[in-house]
Amino acid sequence: MTGLLAQATTKGPPINWEALSPFIALVAGGCIVLLVGLARSAFIRRQVVPVLTLLTLGATAGLGVWQWDINEGIVANAMVVDNLTLALTMIFVAGGIAAVFLSWRSIASAEAGEGEYYALMLMSILGMLVLVAANDLVVLFIGFELLSIPLYVLCATHMRREQSLESGLKYLIIGSVGSATLLYGLAMLYGAAGGTNYGDIAAVAAEMADDTLFMVGIGLVLAGLAFKASVAPFHQWTPDVYEGAPTPVTGFMAVATKAAAFGVIIRLFVGPLIDATTTWAPAFATLAVITIIVGNVGALGQSSLKRMLAYSSVAQAGYMIAGVVVTTQLGIAATVFYLAIYVVMNLAAFAVITARERETGLGDDISSLYGLGRDRPFLAWPMTIAMLALAGFPVTAGFFGKIYLINAAVNNGYGWLGVVIVVGSAISLAYYLRVVAAVWMREAPAASTSLSAVPIMAGGSPEGDEAAYAAGREPGADVGRVVSEDFGEPSIITSGPRISQPEVIFVAVFCALVTIAFGVYPEPLMDVARDAGEALQSLR
Amino acid sequence: MDLIWYLIVSALIFCIGAGGVLTRRNPLVVLLCLELMLNAANLALVAFARAHGDMGGQIFALMVMVVAACEVAVGLGLVVAIYRRRLPIDVDELRELQG
Repeated sequence: MTGLLAQATTKGPPINWEALSPFIALVAGGCIVLLVGLARSAFIRRQVVPVLTLLTLGATAGLGVWQWDINEGIVANAMVVDNLTLALTMIFVAGGIAAVFLSWRSIASAEAGEGEYYALMLMSILGMLVLVAANDLVVLFIGFELLSIPLYVLCATHMRREQSLESGLKYLIIGSVGSATLLYGLAMLYGAAGGTNYGDIAAVAAEMADDTLFMVGIGLVLAGLAFKASVAPFHQWTPDVYEGAPTPVTGFMAVATKAAAFGVIIRLFVGPLIDATTTWAPAFATLAVITIIVGNVGALGQSSLKRMLAYSSVAQAGYMIAGVVVTTQLGIAATVFYLAIYVVMNLAAFAVITARERETGLGDDISSLYGLGRDRPFLAWPMTIAMLALAGFPVTAGFFGKIYLINAAVNNGYGWLGVVIVVGSAISLAYYLRVVAAVWMREAPAASTSLSAVPIMAGGSPEGDEAAYAAGREPGADVGRVVSEDFGEPSIITSGPRISQPEVIFVAVFCALVTIAFGVYPEPLMDVARDAGEALQSLR
Repeated sequence: MDLIWYLIVSALIFCIGAGGVLTRRNPLVVLLCLELMLNAANLALVAFARAHGDMGGQIFALMVMVVAACEVAVGLGLVVAIYRRRLPIDVDELRELQG
C-alpha cells in the first residue's frame, strides 16, 4: 500500500508551488469572499467583504513581487511565470483594487450580493493571470473564458437598470462569438502543429508560415483576440457595453481586460508565432491603422463620457498594437509601459465619472461635469490630468507612453505607424479637450438636479437610484413619501450635493498623482517594463 | 476516411453557427448557434487529435465542453433576468444602447 502511494506521488508533474502562489491566493481569496458574503450582517457584507477582497489582491501583488525574476515554466510547462506575467499581474491587481474602491458603495454590488460581486471580480482577475501565463493552447482558452464569463455577469449586476442587463447579454453574445472564433483558430494551430504546447507550435512556425491551415489558424486567433482587445473592426460591442455596465465595472473592464488581451497577444504572437511574423505583422499593422482612425473619429461626437472613453480605449488599443508588431524587446517594454499608465489615466477618469454619477443624477453625460472646476478641485484636477494624459500632453505619463511606442516603431522600420499614432493623437485632442472645457469653462446649470429631487425619480431612474443609495438610503424605498420632506428647498447648489465618498475621490486623486509622477520621472516604471520585455529572450 | 472531410463538416457547422448568430433574433437560438460554433471547433480538435495520434486535442475538447456549459448557464440566466424585467426578448429590439 505504501509502495503504491509512493508510486502514485511520482506520477504527477512537478509543480512549483511558490511560482503558483499568486494564482492560489486569488482562488482562495475568491472562495473566502464568496462565503463571507453569505453573512446576514449588513456590516460584514458591505464593509468586511470589500476589505477581504483588497487583502486578497494585496497578497497576490505581494506574492508576485516575491517571485520577481523567476522566469520558469510551471505545471508541466503549461504556464510560464516570468517578469512579463508578473508585471501584468501588478497591472490587473491595480485595476482590481481601484474597482473595489469604486464599487464600495455602488448599488450594483449591493444588488448582485457583495460576496458574488467581489468573488466574480477576483475570478476574472485570476482568468487574466492564467491567460497571460498560458504556455499551452488549452490553458489559453480556459484563461480566456475564466476572464470573460465573470465579466458578462458583472456587466449585468445593476439588475434594475435595463441597460445593464442589455449590456450583459450583448457582451455575452459578442464575447462568445469572439471566443468561438479564437477556439476555431486554436484548433487549426493545433492541427498544424500536432501539439497544444507553445513549444510544439514554435517548432513548426518557421516551416509552416505559408501553410494554409496555419495561416487560417493565425487569422482566426487574431480575430478572436481582437474582439477582446476591442481592436477595430471587432470593436462594435465596446461603446454599448461600456455605457450599459455599472461604472466601476466599466472602469475595471476598460483597463484590466485590455491589459490581459495585450498580454496574451504578446505571449502568443511574439512568442511561438515569432517565426511567422511575415504572416501576421502586415495584418496587425493594418488593424492598428484602422483602429486608430475608427476609435478617434468615433469618439468625436459622443456626449456620454463612458461611450467617449470606450472609443478612446479603441484608439489606445491601436497605439499599443504598434508596440507588438515591431517584435522587439523595446516594443514589448513600450507596450507594457503604456498598459500600466493606461490603467492609471483611465481609472482617474472613471473615478470622477462614478463620483459625479452619484452626485448629480445626470448619469455619465458630459453635462455632469459642468461647473466642476469652480468648486470641486479634487474632482476637476484628476479629470483634467486624465484627459491631458490620454491625449499625450508632456509632464503626464501619457506623453512618455507615446514617445516610447513611437520610438519602438521607428527603431524597427515601422516609422509610418509612428506617424499614424501622432495623427491619431492630434485628432484625439478634439474630444479630450472638450471634456476639459466642460470641467473648467462651463457654468453648472442653475437649477441642477440635486439630491433633493432624487427620491422622485428613485425607482424609475437608475442614476437617481445610484445617488440615493450612495447617500445612504435604500434605493426606491422612499418613492412614496417624497414631497413633504425633500421637495421644498429651491436648490442653489450649483454642482450637485456633496456625498461623502472619500474612497472614490482618493482613487481619482491618487491615479492623477501617479500619472503626473511618471510623467516627470518615468524611469522606475520603464525599468519594470524593460524587465518584462527581457522575459521574452528570443527577441533582440 | 480522410481528415479533410472532417474539417469540411466542421467548417460547415462553424459557418452555420456564425450565420445563425448574425441572423437569428431569439437569444435562445443565438445561444444555440454559439454552441454550434464551439462544437464545430471540438470536431476539428478531435479529428486532428486522431490524425496526429495525440491526446491533447481530446482533452482540449473536453475542456471546451465544460466552458460551453458555463457560458450557456450565464446566457440563460441573463435571458431569464431580462424576461423578468419584461424587456423584449428579441435581440434586434434591445435598443436602449444604440451603437
